[in-house]
Amino acid sequence: MSGQQIDHLVKMANQIALNFGEQRDLSRAAQCTAEHLEKFWTRAMREQLSAYADAGGEDLSPAVRLVFAGQSDTQGSQRP
Amino acid sequence: MVQYYEPQRDYGTPAASGGEAVALQIDGIDIEVPAGTSVMRAAALAGVKVPKLCASDSLEAFGSCRVCLVEIAGRRGYPASCTTPVEPGMQVQTQTPALAKLRRGVMELYISDHPLDCLTCPTNGDCELQDTAGEVGLRAVRYGFAGANHLEAEKDQSNPYFTFDPAKCIVCSRCVRACEEVQGTFALTIEGRGFDSRVSVGATDFLGSDCVSCGACVNACPTATLTENSIIEQGIPEHTAITTCAYCGVGCGFRAELRGNTVVRMTPWKDGRANEGHACVKGRFAFGYATHPDRITTPMVRDSIEQPWREVSWDEALQFAARRFREIQERHGRNSIGAISSSRCTNEEVYLVQKLVRAGFGNNNIDTCARVCHSPTGFGLKTTLGESAGTQAFTSVDSADVIMVIGANPTEAHPVFGSRLKRRLREGARLIVIDPREIELVDAPHIRADYHLPVNPGANVAVLNAMAHVIATEALHDAGFIAQRCDRESFASWLEFVSAEHNAPEALAAATGVDPESLRAAARLYASGGNAAIYYGLGVTEHSQGSTAVMAIANLAMLTGNIGREGVGVNPMRGQNNVQGSCDMGSFPHELPGYRHLSDAATRGQFEAAWQVQLDPEPGMRIPNMFDAALDGQFRGLYCQGEDVAQSDPNTQHIEAALSALECLVVQDIFLNETAKFAHVFLPGASFLEKDGTFTNAERRISRVRKVMPPLSGKADWEVTQAFAAALGCDMDYAHPSQIMDEIASLTPTFSGVSYALLDEKGSLQWPCNESAPEGTPTMHRDEFVRGKGYFAITDFVATDERANRRFPLLLTTGRILSQYNVGAQTRRTDNSAWHSEDTLEIHPHDAQERGVSEGDWVGIQSRVGNTVLRATLTTRVKPGVVYTTFHHPVSGANVVTTDNSDWATNCPEYKVTAVQVSRVSAPSAWQARQQQFDRKQRDLLERARTDA
Ligand code: SF4
Ligand code: SF4
Ligand code: SF4
Ligand code: FES
Repeated sequence: MSGQQIDHLVKMANQIALNFGEQRDLSRAAQCTAEHLEKFWTRAMREQLSAYADAGGEDLSPAVRLVFAGQSDTQGSQRP
Repeated sequence: MVQYYEPQRDYGTPAASGGEAVALQIDGIDIEVPAGTSVMRAAALAGVKVPKLCASDSLEAFGSCRVCLVEIAGRRGYPASCTTPVEPGMQVQTQTPALAKLRRGVMELYISDHPLDCLTCPTNGDCELQDTAGEVGLRAVRYGFAGANHLEAEKDQSNPYFTFDPAKCIVCSRCVRACEEVQGTFALTIEGRGFDSRVSVGATDFLGSDCVSCGACVNACPTATLTENSIIEQGIPEHTAITTCAYCGVGCGFRAELRGNTVVRMTPWKDGRANEGHACVKGRFAFGYATHPDRITTPMVRDSIEQPWREVSWDEALQFAARRFREIQERHGRNSIGAISSSRCTNEEVYLVQKLVRAGFGNNNIDTCARVCHSPTGFGLKTTLGESAGTQAFTSVDSADVIMVIGANPTEAHPVFGSRLKRRLREGARLIVIDPREIELVDAPHIRADYHLPVNPGANVAVLNAMAHVIATEALHDAGFIAQRCDRESFASWLEFVSAEHNAPEALAAATGVDPESLRAAARLYASGGNAAIYYGLGVTEHSQGSTAVMAIANLAMLTGNIGREGVGVNPMRGQNNVQGSCDMGSFPHELPGYRHLSDAATRGQFEAAWQVQLDPEPGMRIPNMFDAALDGQFRGLYCQGEDVAQSDPNTQHIEAALSALECLVVQDIFLNETAKFAHVFLPGASFLEKDGTFTNAERRISRVRKVMPPLSGKADWEVTQAFAAALGCDMDYAHPSQIMDEIASLTPTFSGVSYALLDEKGSLQWPCNESAPEGTPTMHRDEFVRGKGYFAITDFVATDERANRRFPLLLTTGRILSQYNVGAQTRRTDNSAWHSEDTLEIHPHDAQERGVSEGDWVGIQSRVGNTVLRATLTTRVKPGVVYTTFHHPVSGANVVTTDNSDWATNCPEYKVTAVQVSRVSAPSAWQARQQQFDRKQRDLLERARTDA
């Protein structure tokens, strides 16, 4: 995975969370973001982002972190 | 069945709408017509032809020629039938000896100042003057040509498509009225009086005038004064076929008029319900590209893009492509290939491409160019209203009282709808324009916008939220509509959100750049001015918050109850001819035809049963995902049908790198477009004149495209996709596109009533067309929203990352011009270039002065990702801080500077906002120099294929 692609994924995910009102309601934004990724992203893209989150996910916004929090043990079988 | 050529029927005056029935008698024939109908029209409806010269049913009656006189029992004199309305019990005579004498006298005067060169006249056999002379039995002209006449008047041949030969003019003023009433441009006048009166196009010639070359005057002219050059050169047509324009989303109906297999004229079809007999310079005149020598008609292959092309048979090309695609999948997995289809192609073609991907490639990596234009419309309208489509028919604007145009420029990009809109505005409808630039509608002949809100690029959502704030806090909303039709819970939270002080126009003024008082006034007008309709375009969607803006628009319409009837609604102006259709046909990677998500097992099951395959329930890649994955080596094979991503997609250098990384790029197009220069397989495409199918326009209207000449390459595009599928082992078995439509209808509830037979019968159909709406649906969401209750989505304003700063202090936004279409592949290959031979950069004189830039100077435009060079045009149409350009010419490289920022929900690129710096330069940019070099090299490789063959 190149830096460029993961940079894009991180940017896109953060943008989605922000537009789902991350600053108003964190947990709802996380829920909507999770549904959005599930509906519109390929599995490979979700897995890449999930791996990034597992590795610390330093550039992820709080709502996106929340999406992936607690998924590390089921990673691969469970979708965000 | 061959339709032999004859002029389209003309009833003399327009239809009267809806009055009570009036019974009368014409030449002893009983007839009933609506009150307000002219005697002339009533006669035509009764099958009686009254001679006429100055009347035409596309124009209001004028009553100047006096050829149409009739006798009416109990009335004195001889009233003109075109200006006399019917009355109950009238008894009309159209043929009496007295009338015959009068008419002959009138005709004699006309003919005495008209050349008698009928035999060599280009419209011989297709001339109303000639016909009328025949009808009135004119046999001699007593006055001769010795007296004063106009026979030596000089021709105006400046327009590349038609000639004005004033020697033949009878000064009936049909052209002048057509330009005013039909087109709304007011380019023509009658100058002088009596014998001296003549048609004038202003100070210069046609090309130098305000004329936009729509052809309405040419259509209206009853003589050979205004004649298409194609008719002058080739003669009048001998047969015709009804088809649909392949340019913009208005989807005008045309009558292709031919001699043999050569189109000699495209005449706007009077029964075409999108255009009702009008057209624009593109559809009417710019069809020459279809037979341009640049067309490639033989399949070609090559192993690498460094090699010359090799012309091969269809079979070899398809086997070559199929073998590579299969090899790639074997090595890199099922998801390593995909396809992009085009909104220029027919419904049947794009349906086949998505079927090929889902059933043949075994993945969902299918996307369409609608990704880069209206994908936010799909998302936004589906979320709020429940259906990814505009809510109205075009005719709905005729009953709008307030029209709000945001991020659209209908007179340039959707000209025929623009003319309809202008007509309604001249009748008195009020107008709000929200656009960074002063578009033509803001100040056009006899039209002035009540409010122009010059929003900063990127701040649409802030403006729309502020409007909603005003309406909600001033209690101008339609509480009854909301209570009955909308989702209560979402409305309550939205109301709280939008009423908050941070959404007030004053609080948002710095972001929007709009005067809060004007914004408040515009909001009040929208909410309380009667029927209010919103029309929006790519200036709304192509932003990082494109989807949010679409939802904000839907919110405004629901808030004020402006949805679900004539005269109101939410209307996306689609760019390309079949954007609506390509979205409807399942061209997005996450959904099947009819906007049904892949995760819906029941729908998937139907397609699996019909196609006899297992479908992948996971969404596939979008276009930008494909490019990113290509650069990462995960995506290696792409089938690109009719879409020029290398030119039309943002951040050109990124895309060129991605295309160069592909192992196998298959391009199907009519020209060697910019993308094809990176291709390994070239499959020649067919123009819209060479195939059968359907297009769906911006009002959901499905219209037939009819083959009027055989495909130059031997195959229509649907046949190519079918053959490619077969080479991949995915069998499809269609003998005609009508069978593809039958399959679509059987699998898509909103299309279940559609068939070619019904389309032939009705002319066109607006979907949903099914059991509950057997003749289609002009107005959607009448009694309830498609999703049940309307949903108010919260629309936080999130400023784009693309902000002006010290290094990049100006915001670049992009748009279109009337005479050119999109990336210009077609229109640049026609005489339309007479109007627009290059893209220029519009810059405010103040910004120009600061940079020492004068009119016509070369300027460099530098963004964070790239730079290009264009000529500057100084204008106050753009405000200080904003610059503007079009993107019709590849060498301009407008997309070299646009970034890969995109809409948060759909990844629709943010074409409309790029922070740039502009400076005077003397040489083209490095990219332009490279592009020209690459272009020369690829043309050379093509030449070698042709000479080797
Ligand atoms: S071509 Fe159209 S715009 Fe030009 S003069 Fe004729 S009607 Fe007017
Ligand atoms: S140019 Fe044609 S339409 Fe116009 S006034 Fe002359 S004859 Fe009539
Ligand atoms: S308005 Fe659009 S559809 Fe109509 S003729 Fe012009 S380009 Fe074609
Ligand atoms: S047609 Fe009626 S006056 Fe000319």
